[in-house]
Amino acid sequence: MNVGNWRVDLEPRLTSPKWLYAAVPIGSLFCAFIVGGVFLAFTGHSPIGTFALLIDRGFTSTRGITNTLGTATPLICTGLAAAFAFRMNLFNIGEEGQMYLGMIGSAWAGIALAGYLPGFAAVPVVLLTGACTGALWVLVPAVLRAKMGTSEIVSTLLLNYVALNLVNYFIFGSRGFFRDPTTSFPQGRVIEASARLSSFGSTRTYPTVIIAVGLAVGLYWFMKRSNYGYETSVLADSPNTARYAGMNATKLTLSVLLFSGALAGLAGAMYVVGPAGKVDPGLLQVGFGYAGIVVAALARYNFMAVVLTAILFAGLREGGASLQISTNPVPISIAVVLQGAVLLFALGGEVFRRNRLRVRRVQQTVGA
Amino acid sequence: MNANVWVLTFADAFSIATTLILATIGAILTERSGVINLGVEGILLMGAVTAFLVGDATGNVWLALLLPVAVGAAMALIHATLSITLRANQIVAGLALVIFGNGLSQFIGKPVEGKTRPVVITPIDLGPLTDLPIVGPIIFGHDPITYLTWVGAVACSLYLNRTRPGLILRATGDAPATVDAQGVSVARVRFVHTIIGGALMGLAGGWFMLARGTAWSQAATTNGIGWIALALVVFASWRPLRAIAGAVLFGFTLQVPFTLQGQQINILPPEIVQMLPYLATLFVLVMLSTPRARKLLGAPKMLGQPFVRDER
Repeated sequence: MNVGNWRVDLEPRLTSPKWLYAAVPIGSLFCAFIVGGVFLAFTGHSPIGTFALLIDRGFTSTRGITNTLGTATPLICTGLAAAFAFRMNLFNIGEEGQMYLGMIGSAWAGIALAGYLPGFAAVPVVLLTGACTGALWVLVPAVLRAKMGTSEIVSTLLLNYVALNLVNYFIFGSRGFFRDPTTSFPQGRVIEASARLSSFGSTRTYPTVIIAVGLAVGLYWFMKRSNYGYETSVLADSPNTARYAGMNATKLTLSVLLFSGALAGLAGAMYVVGPAGKVDPGLLQVGFGYAGIVVAALARYNFMAVVLTAILFAGLREGGASLQISTNPVPISIAVVLQGAVLLFALGGEVFRRNRLRVRRVQQTVGA
Repeated sequence: MNANVWVLTFADAFSIATTLILATIGAILTERSGVINLGVEGILLMGAVTAFLVGDATGNVWLALLLPVAVGAAMALIHATLSITLRANQIVAGLALVIFGNGLSQFIGKPVEGKTRPVVITPIDLGPLTDLPIVGPIIFGHDPITYLTWVGAVACSLYLNRTRPGLILRATGDAPATVDAQGVSVARVRFVHTIIGGALMGLAGGWFMLARGTAWSQAATTNGIGWIALALVVFASWRPLRAIAGAVLFGFTLQVPFTLQGQQINILPPEIVQMLPYLATLFVLVMLSTPRARKLLGAPKMLGQPFVRDER
């Protein structure tokens, strides 16, 4: 590309220096805050004051950070779900719907099964049921992708809208199993007490955060060390190589998508055993399935980094929520603007990690 | 229930189809150049909110339609820069655009949330044609943009298949190295068509707000129409004329739930009926995945692949 007398080139790097891995996300975050600040300034809010409040309420105050950890818990799971599929070049963008189904499945188990189970087994069974229903929701797109090569992008996404209407049907449209029978107010039926976890002290952090972080560490280790992790990464890099080496691409594709769906379902289940305790249409407003994709992309599909970016995003959301109740209320959607902007900048910044920017002076040729 | 209701349903199907055709043709132009832009839903939302805000501020319908075009082009420019110049992952870049558009439309639309639409695009009266039974309301009862869209789809088809730039565009999607060898800049072809595509998507969102919307509400405005448009691109096998037929069909599935609800026909709960357009779209995608259908489709061969001269 020529700019005046200068020639600007991107030259691929053979190795990226370590500091760039951290510099790109931090730089993206900084740029996103500038973009957010411009929109805040235009709408009559003080950018610095808003961001200072956002950071205090989201991260630095004790209440802020414990709220953030609680919010981050399901987000870590949807982030892991997206990272698990995306690093395989399988673009499951149906985490949102799979999470709703996880919520429905775990609530079913919490109401119907938990009463018959010994106390120690209730929570694990409820969580696993949620994971299974999440996986079930991605089954059709996964089979289509694995067997016929149908793009999973649009199919998983379309099912989000189906899942959304399914939850609405269970709570608002019918007086069925999931609806609280004791009141005419449309709300979910609360699951058995034995299947619920209580939070740490007076905080809003639930023990499920340990499971979420444990899963991230476990996946990181498993995908690095196991045969399965090796085969999936070969298939991702070169489907032909995988086929010549005798790997079963159909099986690998299917298993990756199903496990991704299970992780997203688990996010919904954690919401049920934790703060919600029922099928709660409130989760439909939150958009953690979509946010999980951003979290995963920002973490460059690294499972450990997913934990950090999920906490970061949860903090932005917690902080953003508290901005609504200040004197000059800022819409909570500023948090979503920041998320989208961070991702756009990170994608652009990725180029500077992979390539070296070289600017040279060029001789103007006569007559050119 | 009477036949008149179904005439109106078809008329609405043709009307909704305008948004779908505009967005689909935008996506077809983008994808024919080899760039995949999944950000349609985000661009539609931004187009819709822009139309609302401009209409609210100026009261001028045409200005309220023009600015969404610019906003759509600007968002497509972001996508083009990321995916063509910076060679980022186009799938993720498109998703980022959806999330960004979601948040931003909600943020700038917050002050007018729930307000009824300020200006309306009115259908033009074609005299005796509009008064024809059945055909009148279905075909001749629309606003100027709808007719322009039909003409535009035909023009786009001619452009793709009968002109030299159209040939270059198709070649850029299928064999960019050949285009490059001809001395034509692959990046320029892709930039231009991604931006034109985005402009059309912006118009689709703006028109939808002013013609079909009632009040601005971020959650309820486009409701996944952008994703249906992306499925339509496959359904139309990247051909503009087939997009018209597909759009009417999909417009019909989108309208039927409202007709049934309006007529108090409760064969299925409304929440279940609301699922039908998405399930129908999914079903169509499945049908199109059989090996036989796939052969007939002809997707651009280098769709989503960045072009780097040294590597070819």
